[in-house]
Amino acid sequence: MSLLRKILLNPAMRPIWLIVVLLVLWDLAIRIFKIPPYLIPAPQKVVEALQNEWPRLIRESMVTTWATLGGFGLSILFGIPMALLIAYSRTIESFVYPLLVFSQSVPKIAVAPLFVVWFGFGIIPKVIAAFLLGFFPIVVSTVMGFKSVEPEMIDLARSMKASRLQTFMRISLPQAMPAIFSGLKVSVTLAVVGAVVGEFVGSNSGIGYVLQIANGNFDLPLMFAALVVLSMIGVVLFVAIDLLERVMIPWHASQRPDVHATA
Amino acid sequence: MRRLMKLVPAAAVALAFASGPAHAQGKEKVTLLLNWYLYSEHAPFFLCKERGVFDKEGLDVEIQEGRGSVPTIQAVAAKTVTFGYADVATMIKAAAKGTPVTTVGVALQTSPMSVMGLSEKNIRKPDDIKGKTVAMTPGDSMSQVWPLFLKKTGLKESDFKVVAGDAQTKLNAVINGQADLLLGYLMDQNMRIQDATKKPVFVIPFSEYGVNLVSSGIIAQKDMLKEKPDLVRKFMRASTVCFEEAAKNPEAAVDAMLKANPKAGVRETLIAGLKLTTPLYNTPDTKGQRPFRVSPKNMSESFDMLVEYGGVEKASAGKAEDYYTNAFLPQ
Repeated sequence: MSLLRKILLNPAMRPIWLIVVLLVLWDLAIRIFKIPPYLIPAPQKVVEALQNEWPRLIRESMVTTWATLGGFGLSILFGIPMALLIAYSRTIESFVYPLLVFSQSVPKIAVAPLFVVWFGFGIIPKVIAAFLLGFFPIVVSTVMGFKSVEPEMIDLARSMKASRLQTFMRISLPQAMPAIFSGLKVSVTLAVVGAVVGEFVGSNSGIGYVLQIANGNFDLPLMFAALVVLSMIGVVLFVAIDLLERVMIPWHASQRPDVHATA
Repeated sequence: MRRLMKLVPAAAVALAFASGPAHAQGKEKVTLLLNWYLYSEHAPFFLCKERGVFDKEGLDVEIQEGRGSVPTIQAVAAKTVTFGYADVATMIKAAAKGTPVTTVGVALQTSPMSVMGLSEKNIRKPDDIKGKTVAMTPGDSMSQVWPLFLKKTGLKESDFKVVAGDAQTKLNAVINGQADLLLGYLMDQNMRIQDATKKPVFVIPFSEYGVNLVSSGIIAQKDMLKEKPDLVRKFMRASTVCFEEAAKNPEAAVDAMLKANPKAGVRETLIAGLKLTTPLYNTPDTKGQRPFRVSPKNMSESFDMLVEYGGVEKASAGKAEDYYTNAFLPQ
Protein backbone atom coordinates (compact mmCIF):
# COMPACT_ATOMS: atom_id res chain seq x y z
CA MET A 1 0.00 0.00 0.00
CA SER A 2 2.71 2.45 0.98
CA LEU A 3 4.66 1.40 -2.10
CA LEU A 4 1.68 2.21 -4.26
CA ARG A 5 1.36 5.54 -2.46
CA LYS A 6 4.99 6.25 -3.14
CA ILE A 7 4.61 5.49 -6.81
CA LEU A 8 1.47 7.60 -7.11
CA LEU A 9 2.99 10.59 -5.31
CA ASN A 10 6.38 10.30 -7.02
CA PRO A 11 7.33 13.56 -8.74
CA ALA A 12 8.06 11.58 -11.88
CA MET A 13 4.35 10.71 -12.02
CA ARG A 14 3.30 14.37 -12.10
CA PRO A 15 3.38 14.80 -15.89
CA ILE A 16 1.35 11.61 -16.21
CA TRP A 17 -1.30 13.05 -13.91
CA LEU A 18 -1.36 16.18 -16.02
CA ILE A 19 -1.83 14.06 -19.15
CA VAL A 20 -4.74 12.25 -17.51
CA VAL A 21 -6.34 15.57 -16.56
CA LEU A 22 -5.86 16.89 -20.10
CA LEU A 23 -7.37 13.74 -21.60
CA VAL A 24 -10.43 14.13 -19.39
CA LEU A 25 -10.75 17.80 -20.36
CA TRP A 26 -10.41 16.86 -24.03
CA ASP A 27 -13.14 14.26 -23.71
CA LEU A 28 -15.38 16.66 -21.78
CA ALA A 29 -14.85 19.44 -24.31
CA ILE A 30 -15.96 17.11 -27.10
CA ARG A 31 -19.05 16.06 -25.19
CA ILE A 32 -20.04 19.52 -23.94
CA PHE A 33 -19.44 21.47 -27.15
CA LYS A 34 -20.57 18.51 -29.29
CA ILE A 35 -17.46 18.70 -31.46
CA PRO A 36 -18.03 16.29 -34.37
CA PRO A 37 -15.46 13.50 -34.85
CA TYR A 38 -14.46 14.75 -38.30
CA LEU A 39 -13.04 17.88 -36.66
CA ILE A 40 -11.44 16.39 -33.52
CA PRO A 41 -11.53 12.68 -32.64
CA ALA A 42 -12.44 11.49 -29.14
CA PRO A 43 -9.42 10.45 -27.01
CA GLN A 44 -10.83 6.94 -26.73
CA LYS A 45 -10.69 6.55 -30.54
CA VAL A 46 -7.12 7.75 -30.58
CA VAL A 47 -6.15 5.21 -27.91
CA GLU A 48 -7.85 2.49 -29.96
CA ALA A 49 -5.93 3.57 -33.05
CA LEU A 50 -2.73 3.50 -30.99
CA GLN A 51 -3.47 -0.06 -29.91
CA ASN A 52 -4.51 -1.36 -33.32
CA GLU A 53 -1.73 0.28 -35.28
CA TRP A 54 1.01 -0.07 -32.65
CA PRO A 55 3.38 -2.40 -34.57
CA ARG A 56 3.16 -0.25 -37.68
CA LEU A 57 3.57 2.99 -35.73
CA ILE A 58 6.66 1.63 -33.96
CA ARG A 59 8.15 0.44 -37.24
CA GLU A 60 7.60 3.82 -38.91
CA SER A 61 8.76 5.75 -35.86
CA MET A 62 12.13 3.97 -36.01
CA VAL A 63 12.60 5.40 -39.50
CA THR A 64 11.81 8.90 -38.28
CA THR A 65 14.04 8.47 -35.23
CA TRP A 66 17.05 7.54 -37.35
CA ALA A 67 16.52 10.58 -39.57
CA THR A 68 16.17 12.74 -36.47
CA LEU A 69 19.34 11.39 -34.87
CA GLY A 70 21.22 11.80 -38.14
CA GLY A 71 20.17 15.44 -38.40
CA PHE A 72 20.87 16.04 -34.72
CA GLY A 73 24.32 14.46 -35.01
CA LEU A 74 25.14 16.71 -37.95
CA SER A 75 23.86 19.71 -35.99
CA ILE A 76 26.33 18.94 -33.18
CA LEU A 77 29.15 18.16 -35.58
CA PHE A 78 28.80 21.47 -37.41
CA GLY A 79 27.07 23.63 -34.80
CA ILE A 80 29.54 23.44 -31.92
CA PRO A 81 32.73 24.08 -33.93
CA MET A 82 30.94 26.89 -35.75
CA ALA A 83 29.88 28.38 -32.43
CA LEU A 84 33.46 28.14 -31.12
CA LEU A 85 34.73 30.07 -34.10
CA ILE A 86 32.05 32.71 -33.65
CA ALA A 87 32.66 33.00 -29.91
CA TYR A 88 36.44 33.33 -30.21
CA SER A 89 36.77 35.52 -33.27
CA ARG A 90 34.97 38.80 -33.72
CA THR A 91 35.93 38.82 -37.39
CA ILE A 92 34.31 35.45 -38.06
CA GLU A 93 31.33 36.47 -35.98
CA SER A 94 30.75 39.63 -38.02
CA PHE A 95 30.99 37.64 -41.27
CA VAL A 96 29.03 34.54 -40.37
CA TYR A 97 26.49 35.36 -37.70
CA PRO A 98 24.18 37.65 -39.71
CA LEU A 99 24.14 35.14 -42.55
CA LEU A 100 23.32 32.37 -40.09
CA VAL A 101 20.34 34.29 -38.73
CA PHE A 102 19.28 35.04 -42.30
CA SER A 103 19.42 31.35 -43.24
CA GLN A 104 17.40 30.46 -40.18
CA SER A 105 14.53 32.64 -41.38
CA VAL A 106 14.19 30.67 -44.63
CA PRO A 107 11.15 28.43 -44.27
CA LYS A 108 12.50 24.88 -44.53
CA ILE A 109 9.27 23.50 -45.96
CA ALA A 110 9.74 25.76 -49.00
CA VAL A 111 13.17 24.38 -49.85
CA ALA A 112 12.60 20.79 -48.73
CA PRO A 113 11.26 19.63 -52.14
CA LEU A 114 14.62 20.58 -53.62
CA PHE A 115 16.45 18.25 -51.23
CA VAL A 116 14.56 15.34 -52.76
CA VAL A 117 15.59 16.54 -56.22
CA TRP A 118 19.22 16.82 -55.15
CA PHE A 119 19.57 13.76 -52.92
CA GLY A 120 16.85 11.35 -54.00
CA PHE A 121 14.14 9.61 -51.99
CA GLY A 122 16.31 8.01 -49.31
CA ILE A 123 17.06 9.11 -45.76
CA ILE A 124 19.38 11.99 -46.77
CA PRO A 125 16.74 14.69 -47.50
CA LYS A 126 15.12 13.96 -44.12
CA VAL A 127 18.45 14.14 -42.30
CA ILE A 128 19.21 17.46 -43.96
CA ALA A 129 15.80 18.89 -43.07
CA ALA A 130 16.34 17.77 -39.44
CA PHE A 131 19.85 19.27 -39.50
CA LEU A 132 18.64 22.63 -40.80
CA LEU A 133 16.09 22.94 -38.01
CA GLY A 134 18.34 21.57 -35.26
CA PHE A 135 21.50 23.44 -36.15
CA PHE A 136 20.60 26.98 -35.17
CA PRO A 137 19.66 26.59 -31.48
CA ILE A 138 22.91 24.73 -30.85
CA VAL A 139 24.98 27.53 -32.39
CA VAL A 140 23.15 30.30 -30.54
CA SER A 141 23.31 28.60 -27.14
CA THR A 142 26.92 27.53 -27.52
CA VAL A 143 28.03 31.01 -28.54
CA MET A 144 26.22 32.42 -25.54
CA GLY A 145 27.79 29.78 -23.30
CA PHE A 146 31.35 30.58 -24.32
CA LYS A 147 30.79 34.31 -24.29
CA SER A 148 29.48 34.31 -20.75
CA VAL A 149 32.54 32.64 -19.25
CA GLU A 150 33.68 34.93 -16.42
CA PRO A 151 36.75 36.93 -17.58
CA GLU A 152 38.12 36.92 -14.01
CA MET A 153 38.41 33.15 -14.19
CA ILE A 154 40.31 33.37 -17.46
CA ASP A 155 42.62 36.01 -15.94
CA LEU A 156 43.19 33.79 -12.94
CA ALA A 157 44.08 30.83 -15.15
CA ARG A 158 46.41 33.00 -17.18
CA SER A 159 48.14 34.32 -14.04
CA MET A 160 48.73 30.72 -13.03
CA LYS A 161 50.38 30.10 -16.43
CA ALA A 162 47.76 27.74 -17.70
CA SER A 163 48.09 26.93 -21.40
CA ARG A 164 45.24 27.95 -23.76
CA LEU A 165 44.13 24.33 -24.01
CA GLN A 166 44.14 23.98 -20.25
CA THR A 167 42.12 27.17 -19.84
CA PHE A 168 39.65 25.92 -22.40
CA MET A 169 39.28 22.43 -20.94
CA ARG A 170 39.23 23.43 -17.28
CA ILE A 171 37.34 26.71 -17.35
CA SER A 172 35.68 27.74 -20.61
CA LEU A 173 34.20 24.40 -21.63
CA PRO A 174 32.75 23.43 -18.23
CA GLN A 175 31.26 26.91 -17.81
CA ALA A 176 29.72 26.79 -21.28
CA MET A 177 28.31 23.28 -20.80
CA PRO A 178 24.94 24.23 -19.26
CA ALA A 179 24.20 26.59 -22.15
CA ILE A 180 25.31 23.99 -24.70
CA PHE A 181 23.00 21.42 -23.15
CA SER A 182 20.02 23.76 -23.22
CA GLY A 183 20.75 24.29 -26.91
CA LEU A 184 20.94 20.54 -27.47
CA LYS A 185 17.56 20.01 -25.85
CA VAL A 186 15.83 22.59 -28.04
CA SER A 187 17.66 21.24 -31.05
CA VAL A 188 16.62 17.61 -30.63
CA THR A 189 12.91 18.41 -30.46
CA LEU A 190 13.20 20.63 -33.54
CA ALA A 191 15.13 17.89 -35.35
CA VAL A 192 12.07 15.63 -34.97
CA VAL A 193 9.98 18.29 -36.69
CA GLY A 194 12.59 18.59 -39.42
CA ALA A 195 12.59 14.86 -40.07
CA VAL A 196 8.81 14.88 -40.46
CA VAL A 197 8.97 17.86 -42.82
CA GLY A 198 11.36 15.79 -44.91
CA GLU A 199 8.95 12.85 -44.84
CA PHE A 200 6.01 15.00 -45.91
CA VAL A 201 7.83 16.13 -48.97
CA GLY A 202 9.10 12.82 -50.25
CA SER A 203 9.37 9.51 -48.48
CA ASN A 204 8.09 5.95 -48.60
CA SER A 205 8.15 5.49 -44.84
CA GLY A 206 8.21 7.22 -41.47
CA ILE A 207 5.66 8.91 -39.25
CA GLY A 208 5.30 11.77 -41.75
CA TYR A 209 4.23 9.21 -44.36
CA VAL A 210 1.64 7.73 -41.97
CA LEU A 211 0.33 11.24 -41.25
CA GLN A 212 -0.11 11.88 -44.97
CA ILE A 213 -2.03 8.65 -45.55
CA ALA A 214 -4.21 9.17 -42.47
CA ASN A 215 -5.03 12.69 -43.60
CA GLY A 216 -5.94 11.51 -47.11
CA ASN A 217 -8.34 8.95 -45.66
CA PHE A 218 -9.95 11.28 -43.10
CA ASP A 219 -8.58 8.88 -40.48
CA LEU A 220 -8.25 11.43 -37.70
CA PRO A 221 -7.73 8.88 -34.89
CA LEU A 222 -4.73 7.40 -36.74
CA MET A 223 -3.45 10.90 -37.43
CA PHE A 224 -3.61 11.84 -33.77
CA ALA A 225 -2.09 8.49 -32.77
CA ALA A 226 0.81 9.19 -35.12
CA LEU A 227 1.18 12.63 -33.57
CA VAL A 228 1.31 11.05 -30.11
CA VAL A 229 4.03 8.64 -31.21
CA LEU A 230 5.90 11.52 -32.82
CA SER A 231 5.77 13.53 -29.61
CA MET A 232 7.00 10.46 -27.73
CA ILE A 233 10.07 10.37 -29.94
CA GLY A 234 10.71 13.99 -29.00
CA VAL A 235 10.21 13.29 -25.29
CA VAL A 236 12.46 10.22 -25.24
CA LEU A 237 15.28 12.03 -27.01
CA PHE A 238 14.86 15.05 -24.74
CA VAL A 239 15.00 12.88 -21.61
CA ALA A 240 18.09 11.08 -22.96
CA ILE A 241 19.91 14.39 -23.29
CA ASP A 242 18.67 15.47 -19.89
CA LEU A 243 20.17 12.31 -18.35
CA LEU A 244 23.44 12.88 -20.18
CA GLU A 245 23.47 16.41 -18.81
CA ARG A 246 23.10 15.10 -15.26
CA VAL A 247 26.06 12.80 -15.76
CA MET A 248 28.26 15.43 -17.33
CA ILE A 249 27.53 18.50 -15.24
CA PRO A 250 26.26 17.21 -11.90
CA TRP A 251 27.63 20.35 -10.19
CA HIS A 252 25.36 22.79 -12.02
CA ALA A 253 22.57 24.62 -10.18
CA SER A 254 19.88 23.18 -12.45
CA GLN A 255 20.92 19.65 -11.45
CA ARG A 256 20.81 20.07 -7.67
CA PRO A 257 18.10 18.01 -6.06
CA ASP A 258 14.92 19.78 -5.06
CA VAL A 259 15.41 20.64 -1.38
CA HIS A 260 11.72 20.45 -0.54
CA ALA A 261 11.23 17.08 -2.14
CA THR A 262 13.96 15.47 -0.05
CA ALA A 263 12.97 17.13 3.22
CA MET B 1 -7.64 27.48 -23.06
CA ARG B 2 -10.22 29.68 -21.37
CA ARG B 3 -8.96 32.70 -23.22
CA LEU B 4 -9.21 30.74 -26.45
CA MET B 5 -12.81 29.86 -25.70
CA LYS B 6 -13.55 33.53 -25.16
CA LEU B 7 -12.05 34.27 -28.55
CA VAL B 8 -14.33 31.91 -30.41
CA PRO B 9 -17.57 33.87 -29.92
CA ALA B 10 -15.67 37.11 -30.51
CA ALA B 11 -14.46 35.81 -33.85
CA ALA B 12 -17.96 34.69 -34.75
CA VAL B 13 -19.33 38.16 -34.01
CA ALA B 14 -16.57 39.73 -36.08
CA LEU B 15 -17.39 37.44 -38.98
CA ALA B 16 -21.08 38.27 -38.75
CA PHE B 17 -20.30 41.96 -38.99
CA ALA B 18 -17.86 41.41 -41.80
CA SER B 19 -20.49 39.71 -43.91
CA GLY B 20 -23.06 42.39 -43.09
CA PRO B 21 -22.42 44.92 -45.87
CA ALA B 22 -22.78 42.28 -48.60
CA HIS B 23 -26.36 41.68 -47.52
CA ALA B 24 -26.97 45.39 -47.55
CA GLN B 25 -26.18 45.47 -51.26
CA GLY B 26 -28.86 42.86 -51.83
CA LYS B 27 -26.44 40.23 -53.06
CA GLU B 28 -25.81 36.99 -51.30
CA LYS B 29 -22.18 36.39 -50.47
CA VAL B 30 -20.86 33.01 -51.55
CA THR B 31 -17.36 31.62 -51.19
CA LEU B 32 -16.18 28.84 -53.43
CA LEU B 33 -13.05 27.06 -52.22
CA LEU B 34 -11.26 25.25 -55.02
CA ASN B 35 -9.41 21.96 -54.71
CA TRP B 36 -6.01 23.37 -55.62
CA TYR B 37 -4.08 26.38 -56.83
CA LEU B 38 -5.53 27.67 -60.09
CA TYR B 39 -5.24 25.52 -63.18
CA SER B 40 -7.24 25.08 -66.38
CA GLU B 41 -10.08 23.13 -64.77
CA HIS B 42 -11.13 26.17 -62.70
CA ALA B 43 -11.51 28.59 -65.62
CA PRO B 44 -15.32 28.18 -66.08
CA PHE B 45 -15.99 29.71 -62.65
CA PHE B 46 -14.07 32.83 -63.65
CA LEU B 47 -16.05 33.02 -66.86
CA CYS B 48 -19.17 33.08 -64.67
CA LYS B 49 -17.80 35.98 -62.69
CA GLU B 50 -16.60 37.97 -65.68
CA ARG B 51 -19.75 37.57 -67.72
CA GLY B 52 -21.88 38.51 -64.73
CA VAL B 53 -23.72 35.17 -64.65
CA PHE B 54 -23.34 34.97 -60.86
CA ASP B 55 -24.47 38.61 -60.58
CA LYS B 56 -27.63 37.86 -62.55
CA GLU B 57 -28.49 35.19 -59.97
CA GLY B 58 -27.90 37.74 -57.21
CA LEU B 59 -24.73 36.05 -56.02
CA ASP B 60 -21.51 37.71 -55.00
CA VAL B 61 -19.07 34.84 -55.46
CA GLU B 62 -15.55 34.87 -54.11
CA ILE B 63 -13.27 32.18 -55.55
CA GLN B 64 -10.47 30.99 -53.27
CA GLU B 65 -7.56 28.74 -54.16
CA GLY B 66 -7.31 25.48 -52.21
CA ARG B 67 -4.61 23.15 -50.91
CA GLY B 68 -6.04 19.77 -51.81
CA SER B 69 -9.48 18.22 -51.74
CA VAL B 70 -9.24 17.09 -48.13
CA PRO B 71 -8.93 20.54 -46.49
CA THR B 72 -11.51 21.92 -48.94
CA ILE B 73 -14.05 19.30 -47.87
CA GLN B 74 -13.27 19.94 -44.20
CA ALA B 75 -13.82 23.67 -44.69
CA VAL B 76 -17.20 23.01 -46.35
CA ALA B 77 -18.20 20.68 -43.51
CA ALA B 78 -17.29 23.32 -40.91
CA LYS B 79 -19.25 25.95 -42.92
CA THR B 80 -16.13 28.07 -43.30
CA VAL B 81 -16.97 28.32 -47.00
CA THR B 82 -20.26 27.96 -48.88
CA PHE B 83 -19.20 25.56 -51.62
CA GLY B 84 -16.17 23.47 -52.34
CA TYR B 85 -14.84 22.30 -55.67
CA ALA B 86 -13.22 19.01 -54.75
CA ASP B 87 -12.71 15.38 -55.66
CA VAL B 88 -16.06 13.60 -55.28
CA ALA B 89 -14.42 10.26 -54.46
CA THR B 90 -12.60 11.94 -51.59
CA MET B 91 -15.86 13.52 -50.48
CA ILE B 92 -17.51 10.08 -50.39
CA LYS B 93 -14.73 8.86 -48.11
CA ALA B 94 -15.21 11.85 -45.82
CA ALA B 95 -19.00 11.54 -45.77
CA ALA B 96 -18.77 7.80 -45.05
CA LYS B 97 -16.86 8.78 -41.89
CA GLY B 98 -19.67 11.09 -40.82
CA THR B 99 -18.63 14.39 -42.34
CA PRO B 100 -21.89 16.23 -43.18
CA VAL B 101 -21.18 16.97 -46.85
CA THR B 102 -22.75 15.94 -50.12
CA THR B 103 -22.23 16.46 -53.85
CA VAL B 104 -24.62 18.76 -55.69
CA GLY B 105 -23.07 18.32 -59.12
CA VAL B 106 -20.28 16.22 -60.64
CA ALA B 107 -18.19 18.32 -63.01
CA LEU B 108 -15.79 15.66 -64.24
CA GLN B 109 -17.76 12.48 -64.77
CA THR B 110 -14.97 10.77 -66.68
CA SER B 111 -11.88 10.42 -64.55
CA PRO B 112 -8.81 12.45 -65.51
CA MET B 113 -6.66 10.07 -63.46
CA SER B 114 -3.75 8.77 -65.44
CA VAL B 115 -0.28 7.40 -65.27
CA MET B 116 2.08 9.43 -67.42
CA GLY B 117 5.70 9.86 -68.36
CA LEU B 118 7.92 11.49 -70.97
CA SER B 119 7.19 10.09 -74.44
CA GLU B 120 10.89 9.36 -74.93
CA LYS B 121 10.63 6.64 -72.26
CA ASN B 122 8.32 4.74 -74.60
CA ILE B 123 5.74 3.78 -72.03
CA ARG B 124 2.54 3.45 -74.10
CA LYS B 125 0.56 0.70 -72.41
CA PRO B 126 0.28 -0.73 -68.90
CA ASP B 127 2.63 -3.60 -69.73
CA ASP B 128 5.43 -1.11 -70.39
CA ILE B 129 5.31 -0.03 -66.73
CA LYS B 130 7.13 -3.22 -65.72
CA GLY B 131 10.57 -2.47 -64.32
CA LYS B 132 9.93 1.27 -64.18
CA THR B 133 9.68 3.70 -61.26
CA VAL B 134 6.31 5.33 -60.48
CA ALA B 135 5.97 8.49 -58.34
CA MET B 136 2.79 8.96 -56.31
CA THR B 137 1.47 10.86 -53.30
CA PRO B 138 0.59 8.58 -50.38
CA GLY B 139 -3.02 8.85 -49.28
CA ASP B 140 -4.35 10.74 -52.30
CA SER B 141 -7.23 9.45 -54.42
CA MET B 142 -5.04 8.34 -57.32
CA SER B 143 -2.76 6.22 -55.19
CA GLN B 144 -5.84 4.52 -53.76
CA VAL B 145 -7.39 3.71 -57.12
CA TRP B 146 -4.02 2.54 -58.45
CA PRO B 147 -4.41 -1.05 -57.12
CA LEU B 148 -7.63 -1.38 -59.13
CA PHE B 149 -5.84 -0.18 -62.27
CA LEU B 150 -3.16 -2.80 -61.60
CA LYS B 151 -5.77 -5.51 -61.22
CA LYS B 152 -7.58 -4.55 -64.42
CA THR B 153 -4.35 -4.47 -66.38
CA GLY B 154 -2.79 -7.61 -64.89
CA LEU B 155 0.12 -5.83 -63.22
CA LYS B 156 1.56 -6.64 -59.79
CA GLU B 157 3.01 -4.30 -57.15
CA SER B 158 6.33 -6.10 -57.55
CA ASP B 159 6.50 -5.27 -61.27
CA PHE B 160 7.68 -1.72 -60.66
CA LYS B 161 9.29 0.55 -58.06
CA VAL B 162 7.37 3.22 -56.16
CA VAL B 163 8.64 6.53 -54.86
CA ALA B 164 6.34 8.64 -52.72
CA GLY B 165 6.24 12.38 -52.26
CA ASP B 166 3.99 15.41 -52.27
CA ALA B 167 2.54 16.98 -55.43
CA GLN B 168 5.64 19.01 -56.26
CA THR B 169 8.06 16.18 -55.51
CA LYS B 170 6.14 13.92 -57.88
CA LEU B 171 6.61 16.41 -60.71
CA ASN B 172 10.25 17.03 -59.84
CA ALA B 173 10.93 13.31 -59.81
CA VAL B 174 9.70 12.84 -63.39
CA ILE B 175 11.29 16.07 -64.65
CA ASN B 176 14.65 15.11 -63.15
CA GLY B 177 14.49 11.45 -64.11
CA GLN B 178 14.24 10.02 -60.57
CA ALA B 179 10.96 8.43 -61.67
CA ASP B 180 9.75 7.33 -65.10
CA LEU B 181 6.06 7.88 -64.42
CA LEU B 182 3.72 9.67 -62.07
CA LEU B 183 0.07 9.37 -61.18
CA GLY B 184 -1.66 12.56 -62.23
CA TYR B 185 -4.52 14.26 -64.04
CA LEU B 186 -4.45 14.22 -67.84
CA MET B 187 -4.96 18.00 -68.08
CA ASP B 188 -2.65 19.04 -65.27
CA GLN B 189 0.67 17.33 -64.58
CA ASN B 190 1.38 16.45 -68.22
CA MET B 191 1.06 20.16 -69.06
CA ARG B 192 3.42 21.12 -66.25
CA ILE B 193 6.00 18.53 -67.29
CA GLN B 194 5.78 19.68 -70.91
CA ASP B 195 6.24 23.30 -69.83
CA ALA B 196 9.25 22.45 -67.70
CA THR B 197 11.05 20.02 -70.00
CA LYS B 198 9.78 21.16 -73.44
CA LYS B 199 9.36 17.45 -74.19
CA PRO B 200 6.13 15.63 -75.06
CA VAL B 201 4.40 13.54 -72.38
CA PHE B 202 2.54 10.31 -73.01
CA VAL B 203 -0.58 9.78 -70.91
CA ILE B 204 -2.27 6.47 -70.08
CA PRO B 205 -5.76 7.36 -68.70
CA PHE B 206 -7.20 4.94 -66.13
CA SER B 207 -10.62 5.31 -67.77
CA GLU B 208 -9.36 3.61 -70.95
CA TYR B 209 -8.75 0.47 -68.91
CA GLY B 210 -12.15 0.29 -67.27
CA VAL B 211 -11.27 2.28 -64.16
CA ASN B 212 -13.58 5.27 -64.14
CA LEU B 213 -14.17 7.10 -60.90
CA VAL B 214 -16.17 10.31 -60.67
CA SER B 215 -13.76 13.18 -60.19
CA SER B 216 -14.14 16.88 -59.34
CA GLY B 217 -17.54 18.16 -58.32
CA ILE B 218 -19.30 20.79 -56.26
CA ILE B 219 -19.56 19.97 -52.57
CA ALA B 220 -21.98 21.50 -50.07
CA GLN B 221 -22.74 21.13 -46.39
CA LYS B 222 -25.84 19.01 -45.73
CA ASP B 223 -27.61 21.45 -43.38
CA MET B 224 -26.94 24.28 -45.78
CA LEU B 225 -28.95 22.45 -48.46
CA LYS B 226 -31.97 22.56 -46.18
CA GLU B 227 -31.41 26.13 -44.97
CA LYS B 228 -30.69 27.76 -48.33
CA PRO B 229 -31.95 25.52 -51.15
CA ASP B 230 -32.50 28.54 -53.41
CA LEU B 231 -28.93 29.68 -53.01
CA VAL B 232 -27.70 26.25 -54.08
CA ARG B 233 -30.07 26.23 -57.05
CA LYS B 234 -28.88 29.67 -58.18
CA PHE B 235 -25.25 28.73 -57.87
CA MET B 236 -25.68 25.49 -59.79
CA ARG B 237 -27.74 27.21 -62.51
CA ALA B 238 -25.00 29.79 -63.05
CA SER B 239 -22.23 27.17 -62.95
CA THR B 240 -24.05 24.98 -65.48
CA VAL B 241 -24.30 27.88 -67.93
CA CYS B 242 -20.63 28.71 -67.54
CA PHE B 243 -19.39 25.14 -67.88
CA GLU B 244 -21.37 24.85 -71.11
CA GLU B 245 -19.95 28.13 -72.35
CA ALA B 246 -16.40 27.14 -71.35
CA ALA B 247 -16.70 23.93 -73.37
CA LYS B 248 -17.65 25.98 -76.43
CA ASN B 249 -15.21 28.78 -75.83
CA PRO B 250 -12.24 27.64 -73.72
CA GLU B 251 -10.15 30.67 -74.77
CA ALA B 252 -12.65 33.08 -73.21
CA ALA B 253 -12.77 31.07 -69.98
CA VAL B 254 -8.98 31.03 -69.65
CA ASP B 255 -8.77 34.74 -70.45
CA ALA B 256 -11.31 35.43 -67.71
CA MET B 257 -9.22 33.44 -65.22
CA LEU B 258 -6.01 35.18 -66.27
CA LYS B 259 -7.72 38.55 -65.96
CA ALA B 260 -8.69 37.74 -62.38
CA ASN B 261 -5.30 36.24 -61.60
CA PRO B 262 -2.48 36.84 -64.11
CA LYS B 263 -0.29 34.34 -62.22
CA ALA B 264 -2.63 31.42 -62.93
CA GLY B 265 -0.37 30.05 -65.66
CA VAL B 266 0.67 30.26 -69.30
CA ARG B 267 -2.31 31.09 -71.55
CA GLU B 268 -1.66 28.46 -74.25
CA THR B 269 -1.03 25.74 -71.67
CA LEU B 270 -4.21 26.57 -69.79
CA ILE B 271 -6.28 26.57 -72.99
CA ALA B 272 -4.82 23.22 -74.03
CA GLY B 273 -5.58 21.91 -70.52
CA LEU B 274 -9.16 23.11 -70.58
CA LYS B 275 -9.67 21.55 -74.02
CA LEU B 276 -8.59 18.23 -72.50
CA THR B 277 -10.91 18.80 -69.53
CA THR B 278 -14.23 19.58 -71.22
CA PRO B 279 -14.65 16.11 -72.82
CA LEU B 280 -14.61 14.75 -69.23
CA TYR B 281 -17.83 16.68 -68.40
CA ASN B 282 -19.81 13.68 -69.64
CA THR B 283 -19.65 9.92 -69.80
CA PRO B 284 -21.14 7.94 -72.72
CA ASP B 285 -24.38 7.57 -70.76
CA THR B 286 -24.79 11.32 -70.14
CA LYS B 287 -23.72 12.40 -73.62
CA GLY B 288 -25.61 15.47 -74.82
CA GLN B 289 -26.89 16.29 -71.34
CA ARG B 290 -26.05 19.50 -69.49
CA PRO B 291 -22.99 19.50 -67.24
CA PHE B 292 -23.00 18.34 -63.58
CA ARG B 293 -25.85 15.81 -64.06
CA VAL B 294 -24.12 12.56 -63.17
CA SER B 295 -25.74 9.25 -64.07
CA PRO B 296 -26.72 6.88 -61.24
CA LYS B 297 -24.72 4.11 -62.94
CA ASN B 298 -21.55 6.21 -62.97
CA MET B 299 -22.04 7.13 -59.34
CA SER B 300 -22.79 3.61 -58.11
CA GLU B 301 -19.84 2.12 -60.01
CA SER B 302 -17.54 4.72 -58.48
CA PHE B 303 -19.00 4.01 -55.09
CA ASP B 304 -18.47 0.26 -55.43
CA MET B 305 -14.85 0.85 -56.39
CA LEU B 306 -14.34 2.98 -53.31
CA VAL B 307 -15.87 0.34 -51.07
CA GLU B 308 -13.62 -2.29 -52.59
CA TYR B 309 -10.38 -0.31 -52.91
CA GLY B 310 -10.70 3.13 -51.38
CA GLY B 311 -11.00 2.20 -47.73
CA VAL B 312 -14.72 3.04 -47.49
CA GLU B 313 -16.27 0.57 -45.05
CA LYS B 314 -19.05 -1.43 -46.61
CA ALA B 315 -21.00 -1.91 -43.39
CA SER B 316 -21.42 1.78 -42.57
CA ALA B 317 -21.25 3.26 -46.05
CA GLY B 318 -24.86 2.84 -47.20
CA LYS B 319 -25.66 3.42 -50.87
CA ALA B 320 -24.29 5.63 -53.64
CA GLU B 321 -27.50 7.72 -53.58
CA ASP B 322 -26.64 8.92 -50.09
CA TYR B 323 -23.66 10.83 -51.41
CA TYR B 324 -25.04 13.00 -54.21
CA THR B 325 -28.11 14.76 -55.46
CA ASN B 326 -29.09 16.18 -58.85
CA ALA B 327 -32.07 17.96 -57.31
CA PHE B 328 -30.47 21.40 -57.39
CA LEU B 329 -29.49 21.28 -61.05
CA PRO B 330 -31.40 23.19 -63.76
CA GLN B 331 -33.44 21.16 -66.23
